[in-house]
Amino acid sequence: MTEPVITLQQFFQRAREGELTGVRCGRCGELAIPPRQFCPACHERAWRPVPLGGEGTIESFTVIRVAPRAFAADAPYAVAVVKLREGVSLLGRIVGIPLDKVAIGLRVRFRPLVKDTQTSVGFGPAGPR
Amino acid sequence: MRRVAVIGVGVTKFGKHERTSAELFAEAAADALLDAELPVSAVQALYYGNVVGSETEHQLHTGPQAASILGIPTIPTTRFEAACASSHAAFRHAVMEIAAGVSDVVLVGGAERVLNVPTPESTEYFAYASDASWEQTLGLTFPGVFALIARAHMQRYGTTEAQMAAVAVKNHKHGALNPKAQFQKEITVEQVLQSPYVADPLKLLDCCPFTDGGAAVVLASEEVARSHRRGVWVLASAAASDWMLLGDKRDLARVPATERAAAAAYKQAGLGPADVDVVELHDCFTIAEIVATEGLGLFEPGAGGRAAAEGLTSLGGAIPVNPSGGLKAKGHPIGATGAAQIAEIVTQLRGEAGPRQVGDARVGLAHTLGGNTATVLVSLFGRD
Repeated sequence: MTEPVITLQQFFQRAREGELTGVRCGRCGELAIPPRQFCPACHERAWRPVPLGGEGTIESFTVIRVAPRAFAADAPYAVAVVKLREGVSLLGRIVGIPLDKVAIGLRVRFRPLVKDTQTSVGFGPAGPR
Repeated sequence: MRRVAVIGVGVTKFGKHERTSAELFAEAAADALLDAELPVSAVQALYYGNVVGSETEHQLHTGPQAASILGIPTIPTTRFEAACASSHAAFRHAVMEIAAGVSDVVLVGGAERVLNVPTPESTEYFAYASDASWEQTLGLTFPGVFALIARAHMQRYGTTEAQMAAVAVKNHKHGALNPKAQFQKEITVEQVLQSPYVADPLKLLDCCPFTDGGAAVVLASEEVARSHRRGVWVLASAAASDWMLLGDKRDLARVPATERAAAAAYKQAGLGPADVDVVELHDCFTIAEIVATEGLGLFEPGAGGRAAAEGLTSLGGAIPVNPSGGLKAKGHPIGATGAAQIAEIVTQLRGEAGPRQVGDARVGLAHTLGGNTATVLVSLFGRD
């Protein structure tokens, strides 16, 4: 039986504790996040989990002002595609940065967004190097 | 493979309706059969697009429901869900079924009803087409998805909010000529630029509306189509996909699924972008039209905004785009949109589009996008 390299539940449990986890292909070196079954580059299944630093830069962003029902109280809020230093990108909510300071190229750092039992990806100020 | 033709089209008025999506589809289907000069008994299969029916109407199993309301409950029928590309995905399936010799007459279409729920609720349901674990939990919306694309496009190519506004102005101008359109009034660049931000840099008038409506097309084998004077040939129907998550997309300023589907469709038809006379494409947001015109090869990457502002995509321009008014002005009943775009192209190629007719249109292209740019369908049409 095929065992998962890392389940979504495990990923978000680690994220809740502040650690972003990617998977690296043992055959071709491709890095992926979130975890997936086969390597999109070489189609092998030779993943091993690797911790990621969580530092990255904003590639694109938007400020959402008309929100879905469940997020109406949060609006306006920024979401951004962030390219991590390791080269993979993730969508996340921007937290702890004034909306008018959010910009393409801004350095940010991963921080977990925890709401009851749910964890999602957030990015806050990068802080000092 | 056998040749396939569209021999009938039907579209409801787009806007707000006090009827179920099944009823809206039935109206469009009856019009399409009338147009095809075929009795309903001629239909051998029904493929149907409907997206948020389980949320807004508490309705699943919409294929048999649509067949039942037409009084043909025993034919094979399936509901297709490919977000906003659903009925175009259904169309491609039907084309292949006829081309393969399985059926001779297939009814394809879709319908959607969303204006019976408030906007924050429909915004939530539409967001279900993004990933539940990774994206919905962030409060991502569909305007948000295309805002991320818009910002990347502006950064890369210098595209401006005024260029995006020009797309909205053009599509409203076209929509004013379409009696079925949800919005039949012209707007100005200033009105677009002064409308409130929904997801920066996209403003209210950069966005298509929520819409109720239905659309249907009758597809037939060459043998059946030969006895119809107004048939339009399906020259190609191609699909392509891309990564589901926005974070996985290699380049937010482009839509590779559009590029792949277009390349496949042009290859099937033995045609290129320069051969296309009229285009209906997926302008759910103004930036979506700009990136689609680039992905379809009508303009170089980065040149779409300028082309729109210069009027190249207007009626009378070098390559008229969305003469129907597009999703922006005609409206976007998501399950029906692909079929409605195809209906417009067929109407144009027949020369029956009245004041919005593109002169001497011989080859037409329909482009429909679903979800986070992860599904794209492109079909090409031609007349003899």
